Amino acid sequence: MAELLSAEEIIELKGQIAAVHEPRELIIEVLQAVQKSHGWVPDAGVKLAAELLGLSPLQVDEVATFYDKIYRSPVGRKVIHVCDSICCWTRGTELVYRHLQQVLGIVPGETTSDGCFTLLPTCCLGACDKSPAMRIGDRLYGELTVERVNTILADERQETEA
Amino acid sequence: MPTLIIDNQSVTVPEGTNVLEAAQQLGIVVPHFCYHEALGAVGACRLCAMLFIDGPVKGMQMSCMVEAKDGMVVSTEAPEAVAYRGQVIEWLMLNHPHDCPVCDEGGECQLQDMTVASGHSVRRYTGKKRTYLNQDLGPFIHHEMNRCIQCYRCVRTYQDYCGGTDYGVLGSNQRLYFGRFQDGPLESPFAGNLIDLCPTGVLTNKPYRFTSRFWDLQEAPSVCPHCSLGCATIPGARFRELQRVRSGNNPEINGCFICDRGRFGYDYVNHSDRPRTPLLHGEEIPWNEALETLLQRLTKLIECHGSDSIALLGSGRASLEANYLLQRLSEQLGSAAPVYGSHAGRDRAARAATTLPTELSASLADVRNSDLILLTGADPLAEGPMLALAIRQAVRNGGRVMICDPRPVELPCSTEYLACQPQELLQLLSALSLGETLPTKLQPLVEALQLAQRPVLIGGGDLLGAEGTTALLAAAQKLNSEDRSCLAMVLLPEANSFGAALLAADGPDFEQLLADMASGRIKALVCLEADPLTDCPDRQQLLQGLEQLDFLAVFDHLPSLIAAKADLLLPTTALAEGAGTLINNEGRMQAFAPVFSPGQPLRITSQGNHPPRSFSTTTPGALPCQAWALLAKLCDLPVDLAKIRRELATQEPRLAGLPDLLAEGSGQRIQSADKPLSQPHALITEQVDALQLLACETLYGSEVLSAHSSPLDPVRPQPYLLLHELDADRLGIAAGDLVRLSAGEIQLTLPAQLSDRMAAGVVIVPHLRRTELESFYPGQPSQPCRVEKVSAL
Amino acid sequence: MSQLLFKNRRPNHTVLLDEYRQNGGYQGLEKALRELQPAQIRDEVKASGLRGRGGAGFSTGLKWSFFPFDAPGDKYLVCNGDEMEPGTFKDRALLEADPHQLVEGMVLSAYALNITTGYIFLRYAYDQCYANLQRAIAEAKQAGLLGRNILGSDFSFELHVHRSAGRYICGEETALLNGLEGKRPNPRSKPPFPAIKGLFAKPTVLNNIETLANIPHIVNGGAQWFSDLALTEEGAGTKLYGLAGHLNNRGCVELPMGVTIGELVEEHGGGVWQGRKFKACLPGGASTPYLTAAHLDVAMDYVPLEAVKTRLGTGGLVVFDDQTCMVAATLNLMRFFARESCGWCTPCRDGLPMVCWVLEKIESGQGTVDDVAMLRELLGHINGRSFCALALGAMGPVDGLLRLFEEEVLDHVKKGRCPLPRNSSLKES
Ligand SMILES: Cc1cc2nc3c(=O)[nH]c(=O)nc-3n(C[C@H](O)[C@H](O)[C@H](O)COP(=O)(O)O)c2cc1C
Ligand code: SF4
Ligand code: SF4
Ligand code: SF4
Ligand code: FES
Ligand code: FES
Repeated sequence: MAELLSAEEIIELKGQIAAVHEPRELIIEVLQAVQKSHGWVPDAGVKLAAELLGLSPLQVDEVATFYDKIYRSPVGRKVIHVCDSICCWTRGTELVYRHLQQVLGIVPGETTSDGCFTLLPTCCLGACDKSPAMRIGDRLYGELTVERVNTILADERQETEA
Repeated sequence: MPTLIIDNQSVTVPEGTNVLEAAQQLGIVVPHFCYHEALGAVGACRLCAMLFIDGPVKGMQMSCMVEAKDGMVVSTEAPEAVAYRGQVIEWLMLNHPHDCPVCDEGGECQLQDMTVASGHSVRRYTGKKRTYLNQDLGPFIHHEMNRCIQCYRCVRTYQDYCGGTDYGVLGSNQRLYFGRFQDGPLESPFAGNLIDLCPTGVLTNKPYRFTSRFWDLQEAPSVCPHCSLGCATIPGARFRELQRVRSGNNPEINGCFICDRGRFGYDYVNHSDRPRTPLLHGEEIPWNEALETLLQRLTKLIECHGSDSIALLGSGRASLEANYLLQRLSEQLGSAAPVYGSHAGRDRAARAATTLPTELSASLADVRNSDLILLTGADPLAEGPMLALAIRQAVRNGGRVMICDPRPVELPCSTEYLACQPQELLQLLSALSLGETLPTKLQPLVEALQLAQRPVLIGGGDLLGAEGTTALLAAAQKLNSEDRSCLAMVLLPEANSFGAALLAADGPDFEQLLADMASGRIKALVCLEADPLTDCPDRQQLLQGLEQLDFLAVFDHLPSLIAAKADLLLPTTALAEGAGTLINNEGRMQAFAPVFSPGQPLRITSQGNHPPRSFSTTTPGALPCQAWALLAKLCDLPVDLAKIRRELATQEPRLAGLPDLLAEGSGQRIQSADKPLSQPHALITEQVDALQLLACETLYGSEVLSAHSSPLDPVRPQPYLLLHELDADRLGIAAGDLVRLSAGEIQLTLPAQLSDRMAAGVVIVPHLRRTELESFYPGQPSQPCRVEKVSAL
Repeated sequence: MSQLLFKNRRPNHTVLLDEYRQNGGYQGLEKALRELQPAQIRDEVKASGLRGRGGAGFSTGLKWSFFPFDAPGDKYLVCNGDEMEPGTFKDRALLEADPHQLVEGMVLSAYALNITTGYIFLRYAYDQCYANLQRAIAEAKQAGLLGRNILGSDFSFELHVHRSAGRYICGEETALLNGLEGKRPNPRSKPPFPAIKGLFAKPTVLNNIETLANIPHIVNGGAQWFSDLALTEEGAGTKLYGLAGHLNNRGCVELPMGVTIGELVEEHGGGVWQGRKFKACLPGGASTPYLTAAHLDVAMDYVPLEAVKTRLGTGGLVVFDDQTCMVAATLNLMRFFARESCGWCTPCRDGLPMVCWVLEKIESGQGTVDDVAMLRELLGHINGRSFCALALGAMGPVDGLLRLFEEEVLDHVKKGRCPLPRNSSLKES
């Protein structure tokens, strides 16, 4: 499990855990740390988190599986979350979503064969003033059009290949 | 005590009762799921709606979430409430597979009942149903998630009530999953309660799977025979086979829960080697001949060798009535009073336990309600599993638990642990009882005892012995005062150890019997559901004694070692096949009634196929008789349980309530003894240098009946030896190493386990029946031993 | 026009401590610690008429008055920064522009309530806000405005930021507390209310980001001044209004409480896009029942909106043009709520998916008159029966749909298809 988090990261997390009221409080932080370094949270990541937090793996998984942004199954190098909530809907998010599926050749929940992108919906990103919006990794993109999506995808793909 | 009106009927309920419960008091059952009397109300299923017409809250409310208050006027039948409840059922049924015909829950399914009760019959939803993959939850529980209605009862049972951490709820919204992190056996020894608590067929009894439909079972309220607590159970039988046990409800003892030993220990009743016909020297004989032979042989021996050549041996497994009639038999024969129990140490500890005044005796309900529990030499999970659960409830209510023990006693709750040598336990208890000052390491304990409002002292008869038990009771009495009661509880080895000890009074014990047998004075031994060959710690001497017997008669339903040696074998019924009374460890008499009649299970006679086509007028294997009935015949008494109970009650004033006892209900405490408690003396202990060997009970391997139950096979531990890490270090032993244990004559090679949460200088071996560790018997003073490393892991 | 919360806001700019202080920042705190008793601040807040900006609109002063500020032991102040109601992005806008307002607001509130530990519960996706808060907190600590002995007084206050993985239900205050404690964020039953038994079972005050950010302004300007900022008689202060949907200009604006919908749409939203007509709006986020063109002169304030059977909610106005199918819009909203249900109670967990199913049927032209009746029945059965307010909010749009657009719904049934052009939300399920 060492590869899921580096020794330094583990020390850092242990320090944070020691400083809070109840270790449990940091469950999301620990899972996010695993996700950041590994892309998603495998069973071993849940066990590692459980160990760090003094919980059983089930107790960690109960929380982890509640959130759709904690990935408990493999995802591509980048996860595309397209907002499908009401403001984005008024601004044609469906077109964007459909276009993404076409150019990536996948349906929601799938990962492109090159392992680059996973496509998922999301609820409102709080970017309703720039709808339709999507997130790729930590990056927020608004005012999406079919053309803009193409450039964004190209840039993002280029980045993963670099 | 608020008074409210529900459906035009008035009802007065205790403060804090919710309206759903208040309605139930009137016999009005409104459909509900997430509320459960043991788990409380959480308002999740939203099914229990009633219309509140007048009073402090108005409108449609979930009745389980509303506390009953004066002046409430409530309708359960208001059309909007009825329509709404039908709607909730429709929602719960949206994804339900409707597979009742192949569901084990069918017939005893709360979802079926509530669906009918709510009036819902047509599902309008025609969309896709959500489906799940199931998990392998181990040998006890079958998982069928598609039937789930998301009432969260399982999680609340498993995590909150039982303290398990490996089963829970995953996911969110409509995609919830109730299960484990990964496939694997449920870890909690109370996991079986999920079967009873899940209102649908998601969590069903795996050993019982597809065995019977509920309505075909013969069921009756009964008492668990697998430890001294006497939990209420409901065994279910069909085709002459005991097929399952579910929890009964005794609010004084187990509430609605039982442990997995109690639930899955039943299969000894169906054991294929079980004695089913009277045998004389291995030859089948009719019952009347068997009884005649017994009387003739005994009379003959008395004629030749005098009445003290006959020994009768009762047990904590046999019912109170059977044990009593053994006494009558001895009187009739003019022989010595029966010995009760094949283990003198345990017998003496049990006798000490019977001296506690009833008002100082703690029930499990008292334990649940306690604010400080002191465990001295008691390992609840091994010696009385449901006690562990009761202690957890005390902790959930803010109580504190302190453990003084040489063993690494584990409980499903937070505890404070103090490693103590066995001798230190005695010192501690006698100091407490005499009001002496305690060693500084025990100071926190003294402070906690001073602060506590409802303390309970709990001890294990095995580790404390008679001396320690006496000290424990005296300590409770000492700490008991006008202002606050201090109660005591002692764990005993068998379901009726208390009853047997009560009858034993000042009679002889097994040590005396052994001496008499060794001297050759005893010519005949009659064992009543007792197996000295497995229970007497001094096997050598016993074997010598047995060799000198002219006649050995055994009443039993277990294929025991002694039964195999018997000249005359008299097959008796198991608990579920007969009636009788047991007295649990707190001195509570509990009557039980027959659930079914004995007989060779159809599964065995037909090898699981169609019933055999050879017909007979008698039922195969139906010969076992109730021991008390056989003994009554031998004593020439009418075979009438009520009469026997009346007689017993006049003989022994402490059993005064016995004739009024019903098989239902929560039983009745015996009367206190009129003698004052004996006082312990100050104990001086000697320093010991050698490692001390201590044999201890385990959850699944020690109790004799469940040791013969195949559903428990997968969870029985393998032999091992437990050492303190410090001792292991000194001896160069690592966890998993094979070590040689030498104690007295015995040498064994065992894998080592290590712990730092136990007394140093102590070596612990589990008492595992039907393994090489069988001969290490609990209830003995520790003995010096040696441990050496043989090979590394 | 008075701007309080946005007075320092400029595009692509975050106000740092120096700039914040130059423009009067932390003066309220200085004044409070110098000359105000906690009770005076509580009274001022109560008199100001400030109502919670997180959606429920509960009077902040009243909420604070239930708080046992003199109880011994730990007590907590928790800021609700989950902000996941579609159409709502005001808290993000506020933190992106001027994060010190929240820090100051929390220190002041904590002082008023005798609390020494605070948490800001922030959704993970708001990374910019997180960075801003981290920096603001560090700056404030450095300057002695946060931490031990604030500004040399004997008042101390620790502030932590807790990041959540994001779920709409985490915004419900008791679910938030569970989430903060690292448990599954299912709501807790009330009573006990958080004021009595909240975070770690201790007394806790929960407020929205915008609510707390208003506190310094109230302390500075006084209750009367704050209250007079509103255009409506009973209103108070300003409001961060969101403008989204079919508008020409979208964004977040600070305006006096009580501007009319019409003014928001026309003057600040630049009118309905593509020259189309205004058909309907969600006045305050996804859970608020629709209004129609007939309501354009209704003031965007709590009371006037309640009078027309809807709510101010978060103040996030979402506008629909005249080509929008209201069944499809409602279906989109219901899918959101069904997906964000925490799964605790039946009406929400199983009821909302059933509502989605009926709406899908109607929208696809398969619906019958019975289905419309079923929808109405479901509305009645879900409303007010769920464990927390999520399902209640979820049914807001259905309520609006059946009250204001019944004919359009029935038209689907009659025609056997969606009668409007924008009906495509079906194709993505
Ligand atoms: C489902 C649901 C989601 C909510 N989401 C938020 C939210 O994201 N932010 C928020 O401040 N309040 C939210 N609330 C309201 C909070 O429960 C609570 O009323 C509010 O945070 C109190 O702060 P206030 O009085 O300052 O508004 C939500 C309520 C519900 C029922
Ligand atoms: S598994 Fe059973 S007890 Fe658990 S939620 Fe489902 S129906 Fe209820
Ligand atoms: S605790 Fe004892 S009596 Fe109760 S069920 Fe378990 S074994 Fe039986
Ligand atoms: S209404 Fe019920 S299921 Fe929905 S979010 Fe609230 S508690 Fe959870
Ligand atoms: S609705 Fe898409 S970002 Fe808000
Ligand atoms: S029983 Fe009352 S809500 Fe479930």
